[in-house]
Amino acid sequence: MAVVKKRLGATDGFIRMPDGTSHYIFGFVDITGVPEEAVFMYRGKANLLAPLLEVYEGDEIYLTLTNLGLPGRPDLDDTHTIHWHGFPNQIPLWDGVPEASLSVPVGRDFTYYYEPLAPGTYMYHCHFEPVEHIQMGMVGPLVVRPQLEKEQQRKFAYNDISTQFDREAIVFLTELDARPHYLVANVQGFDWTEYAPRYWLLNGRSYPDTIKPADDPSLPYQPYSSLIHAYAGERVLLRFVNLGYEQHSIQILGIPLHIIGQDAQLLRGYYDEDLSYHKSTVYIGAGQTTDAIFRAPRAGKYPLYNRDLHKNTVAGKFFGGMVTEVTVLPAP
Amino acid sequence: MQVINLWAKDGYLSTPDGNSIYFWGFSSTADGPSQIPGPHLIMRQGEPVTINLTNTLPEPVSLLFPGQPGITSAGQPVQPQYIDNKLVSFTNYARPGETISYTFTPARPGTFLYESGTNPPRQVPMGLYGGIVVRPADYNPAVRRYKTAYGAETGTEFDREYLLITGEIKPELHRAVEQGKPYSFKNYKPRYWMLNGRCAPDTMLMDNVVYLPHQPYGAMIMAQPGERVLIRYIGAGIAHHPLHPHGNHTRVIGLDGYLLRNGSTDLSYKRFTVLVGAGQTYDQIYQWEGLGYTPDNPIPTILPNLRNMGIGEPGWTLWSGSPYLGVKGDVPKGVTSFNEMGEYYFMLHSHEEPQITNWGEFPGGMMTMIAIYPSLSPTVGELK
Ligand SMILES: [Cu+2]
Ligand SMILES: [Cu+2]
Repeated sequence: MAVVKKRLGATDGFIRMPDGTSHYIFGFVDITGVPEEAVFMYRGKANLLAPLLEVYEGDEIYLTLTNLGLPGRPDLDDTHTIHWHGFPNQIPLWDGVPEASLSVPVGRDFTYYYEPLAPGTYMYHCHFEPVEHIQMGMVGPLVVRPQLEKEQQRKFAYNDISTQFDREAIVFLTELDARPHYLVANVQGFDWTEYAPRYWLLNGRSYPDTIKPADDPSLPYQPYSSLIHAYAGERVLLRFVNLGYEQHSIQILGIPLHIIGQDAQLLRGYYDEDLSYHKSTVYIGAGQTTDAIFRAPRAGKYPLYNRDLHKNTVAGKFFGGMVTEVTVLPAP
Repeated sequence: MQVINLWAKDGYLSTPDGNSIYFWGFSSTADGPSQIPGPHLIMRQGEPVTINLTNTLPEPVSLLFPGQPGITSAGQPVQPQYIDNKLVSFTNYARPGETISYTFTPARPGTFLYESGTNPPRQVPMGLYGGIVVRPADYNPAVRRYKTAYGAETGTEFDREYLLITGEIKPELHRAVEQGKPYSFKNYKPRYWMLNGRCAPDTMLMDNVVYLPHQPYGAMIMAQPGERVLIRYIGAGIAHHPLHPHGNHTRVIGLDGYLLRNGSTDLSYKRFTVLVGAGQTYDQIYQWEGLGYTPDNPIPTILPNLRNMGIGEPGWTLWSGSPYLGVKGDVPKGVTSFNEMGEYYFMLHSHEEPQITNWGEFPGGMMTMIAIYPSLSPTVGELK
């Protein structure tokens, strides 16, 4: 049982889309271990997505949220929270719903405590005015790893040997409607019933940025690549997360998927029946997660894209949006 | 024979942002107010039921019972209705001022919908819908083994039960119907999203509050730790909603009134978000156990000075001020706490987040709370 200590700053910043546009966001930035006097240097440096939180079942997690303020909106004194979405058995204090507990004002800290009881793919986000703060970018992936990994020294999605894999990738789905981002930056309101995104993002980027490497210098605040590499024959786990406000329909041409988990649950019946299934399309609603394993086929490039084809665009132009590639190399 | 009388009537529903919206709904008495959703209809598997519908609205109205077999009206099987070879109704209807009767025998237990079958793209969004619960033939709420959703030995015992019926409001449609004007269904864009005919925060009020005479059903879920809470989702609108309860997964045990079981194979599953599609129903069990923090087993972080924290929404909170169940702490001066006895509140809401607004303003819409009380009267969560 490890004790894990992490610290996130909540602040704002800017992200880029392949059409050259820049968009104001709210978000989180990893400030774990940053000396107190240097923390303020992270103001305005929010990342999309927020830092990946990877923990083990049975760990004890102390997660400190520091509200660094919004230098792009110095007039706005919004509080923030962290909500571990789908995470079972939280007391309200750790649940991040401000109406039912507390939230963190500018310049303050609060330490959340979590004890992950079950492995799987989750997500986290701010729950203060969630309609605005989730769309603005306060979203990130959360993976709870199973005990079995520690025992076997191999990788598993769940505590079940059938879920063994060689590599994994997160496929995190969100949308971006540029209008509220613009209006929030310019101190104006937005009627959320008019929400109509024109950008569709994988791991915080739109194609072709999705296939640029991780930490690409042209995308300083969008650190995640969506390019998926594997050697032929390897077992690849994809962790799909939908934290947009729409349903999505993801396919990989030429690669069937074995769906082994949904909403952080191994697909097993009440009496341990195997309920996993094969599918070519991951159809996923807002706030759901899906774990799929595929066996990497022969060497080649396999497009991954959203079958809602209008989401393969950047502000209306082909190709863009929710598109990336699975690159399979010959087995070494 | 069970006999249920319904009257189709009009009325005005209230939204928390002060709008009053013309709607069509059902009433269970001749002079009572119309309501949205219509009265819960509670039946028993294998026992015939007759529903008399009296239409006081200005156009023909009928009732569909999706999932129910062998429906008859005046002794004849119900039929789609045509005028000049054009479909006008999915089933036999009552003209203005008329009464029509439908008879059937619910064949299987579960959760179902009833809704208008005449001009449904208009009449269902206007509010002509309601929920049906069919009790298993062996149902007996006094004996735990027989207080089930799907019958003894199906693993569906429950302690309390709640219906959550989704719906949407597009005000332009309601205005056009009120003024007798035509309405085009392109660009159907709702501005309000409802659970049990109410938008948050009204969803969290009790049943039958006097200032919501047409919206008698609350949507607050109340339970004690460890109890098996049967939550029945019904998609009565025309949109699809990913409903997400905080605090734990729900175990989905039935879909559209079918127990998720194939012979001896249990096909139930746990989800933290359930996509409730139009016309669909979900029976599911929610159980909150808790992490066991008590003052004797303290929380492993230090509660900060609450004056330095944001508490609740400006001016109010549902929080007790304490991390412990059943313990009330102090909330800062000037914050009103609606917490009664140190109970916990977990949000349950649509994760298509614009749906938790009232015409774009958060908080609102398709949102409610699951309240976990240290102790609670056994009559709370009894479906009537
Ligand atoms: Cu926030
Ligand atoms: Cu969430």
